[in-house]
Amino acid sequence: MKRRNKFFALGLSAALAVTTLAGCGGSAGGGDTGNGGGGDAGGKLTVAIWDNGQQPGLQQILNDFTEATGIETQLQVIEWNSYWTLLEAGASGGDMPDVFWMHSNEAVRYMSNGILLDITDKVNASETLEMDKFPDDLKNMYTYDGKIYALPKDMDTVAIWYNKDMFDEAGIPYPDGSWTWDEFYDIAKQLTKEDGSQFGFCANPSNEQDTWMNTVYTLGGCVLNEEGKSGFDDPKTVEAMEFVDKLVKDTMPPASTMSETGTDVLFGSGKIAMISQGSWMVAAFKDNEYIAAHADVARLPKDPETGRSISLYNGLGWSASAGTKNPEGAYKLIEWFASKDMQQKQAELGVTMAAYEGVSDQWVNNTDVFNLQPYLDAMDDVVFRPATKSTLAWWNPMVEELKKPWNGEEDMATACANIAKIMNEKIAEEN
Amino acid sequence: MSNIKKGTSRERNEFMWGWLFILPTMVGLIILNIIPIFQTIYQSFFKTGDFGKGNIFIGAENYIRLLSDGEVWQSVLNTFKYAIVEVPFSIALSLVLAVLLNRKMKGVSTYRTIFFLPMVAAPAAVAMVWRWLFNTEFGLLNHVFHSSTQWISDPRIAVFSIAVIGIWSIIGYNMVLFLAGLQEIPRDYYEAADIDGANGIEQFFNITVPLLSPTIFFVSITRIIGGLQVFDLIFMVMDKNNPALYKTQSIVYLFYQNSFVENNKGYGSTIVVLLIAIIMVITVFQMVAQKKWVYYN
Repeated sequence: MKRRNKFFALGLSAALAVTTLAGCGGSAGGGDTGNGGGGDAGGKLTVAIWDNGQQPGLQQILNDFTEATGIETQLQVIEWNSYWTLLEAGASGGDMPDVFWMHSNEAVRYMSNGILLDITDKVNASETLEMDKFPDDLKNMYTYDGKIYALPKDMDTVAIWYNKDMFDEAGIPYPDGSWTWDEFYDIAKQLTKEDGSQFGFCANPSNEQDTWMNTVYTLGGCVLNEEGKSGFDDPKTVEAMEFVDKLVKDTMPPASTMSETGTDVLFGSGKIAMISQGSWMVAAFKDNEYIAAHADVARLPKDPETGRSISLYNGLGWSASAGTKNPEGAYKLIEWFASKDMQQKQAELGVTMAAYEGVSDQWVNNTDVFNLQPYLDAMDDVVFRPATKSTLAWWNPMVEELKKPWNGEEDMATACANIAKIMNEKIAEEN
Repeated sequence: MSNIKKGTSRERNEFMWGWLFILPTMVGLIILNIIPIFQTIYQSFFKTGDFGKGNIFIGAENYIRLLSDGEVWQSVLNTFKYAIVEVPFSIALSLVLAVLLNRKMKGVSTYRTIFFLPMVAAPAAVAMVWRWLFNTEFGLLNHVFHSSTQWISDPRIAVFSIAVIGIWSIIGYNMVLFLAGLQEIPRDYYEAADIDGANGIEQFFNITVPLLSPTIFFVSITRIIGGLQVFDLIFMVMDKNNPALYKTQSIVYLFYQNSFVENNKGYGSTIVVLLIAIIMVITVFQMVAQKKWVYYN
């Protein structure tokens, strides 16, 4: 009898051990882990972000806010993956931070479920805000059913980083932004050495916003078409992706190398001549000694026929929790971040480019290590990062499918057809 | 048990204190484990809405999808491959180590500490270090062996490379359990065997292994369960661009992807229910089989 009990206990613990895992994904009720939000940390407003690099600058802006209003704040940085898990748990019935960043991947889901504080009336009544100074795409991203849920925080564009030494060695003049994608291909090919010690370009399938999606839009294709369906069955998109495929095959390291080591690390260790990156990486590249000494920035190449150079852009929003205990204070803080002075300060401190029109020159001037003007010039012709109600549901399978042509297991046209099918299925499921 | 009510006051007292002592654990288990088990099973019959609101009952639809989902069955295969390498090797190696370290010699506690150290390190840190050891371009392994093996991006071997990390991480823990078991074996048996002229290897197989079998059984049950739940190593080592990911991702990894990344908690729960079922079956099978080889004295 005794022995059987022991075994029963073992069997039970087997079941328990596995369901503990499930438990965290389980219910709506049990998500509060306690270390995340805390709506009332001594009357302080809790502020949550995911980017360590921006913390020092934002802290200064928060200090100014406390000085001006007397409202205390507490800034916490939570790494990207945990950030969304935590916010989701908070939204499903726990404590959320009072004020936090919103991203276009998730915004619609949070807005449509009433998780975010509706600030429409306050924004309309505001005397300090100049809403017409923000780009429409960005405002629309954080508006749902005519109600405003977040104010634009920043903006990011994409540009090419190149290794000056490698251009010198090959006798190629530095790019001035007048190049076309075909010329880009030729240069990348020339900078690729046969012995595998140096490659012209590199990008992973998951470098979408910062790499291949820009090529797709510049060459006349699209990721989402005007009806909100997949653009991967558009012949122009397929053509552009086949061009990307050519870059992958002729100018990039093997897919396994890029995925194992990461494109930034490869660029930072002098194996790659050019990389395409978003303005959000500038702070990190500035801290990298090799990149600071050897690299500079050029605008993305153009389409040979139209002469257009399109960069994707995206921007975060400052939003507040609908359940915050201090909605007045939370709104004041959001408004503070979106005011002209603070947008300018954010740019001056080099935190990010501002969403507010015309103050990003300060961001360009905050460093003399790189010429950041191409990022600002890219604003002339931009497309907002594609998003639907549940973006990640199709985004991840899309990247997953692209790994096959990247790895030479499937031709690009087939991959595009498959992606179109998956995307349209997932998008249809959203409603 | 049946005479509790009629028991002496001392028995009643012990009974009460016994329950009082396990109460905190019981409450924890019920709230954190047992209730979520049922909630998870319940949830697997729903198309879950955002933030736990607006769930729609869809009957067995998630299970029908599961049956025809190649990715899930591939992950089951991956998980088995991982466990089949990790469990036997980690048990065999740690058993040998435990026997070698279960005697009087210089610096024995230093050795024990060294082998137990991986257990103290955070799994995420361990995985990051191994990720660089395995790196094709800059990794120490390829540097030492003058090879260019793609340890973690070749779909044929990546899952086994991950298993190597698993073995390395768990050996110390298993070893400590075995050491505890070894201390319980009376010296007399070995002395008698010595007199009979048995050598070390004969003693190992005829005395150590049978008398240690309850511990071996316990370790193998817990390791198989642990092995089938592998997640953090894969999550940390395998980049999402890695071409070998499809042939490496485990059941729990897929559960995480579905539940937390793609926000499909209903289907994620279904995947976990599959894992519970698999572990249940294997554990029951082990319970039956142990009658043949585990000795309780």
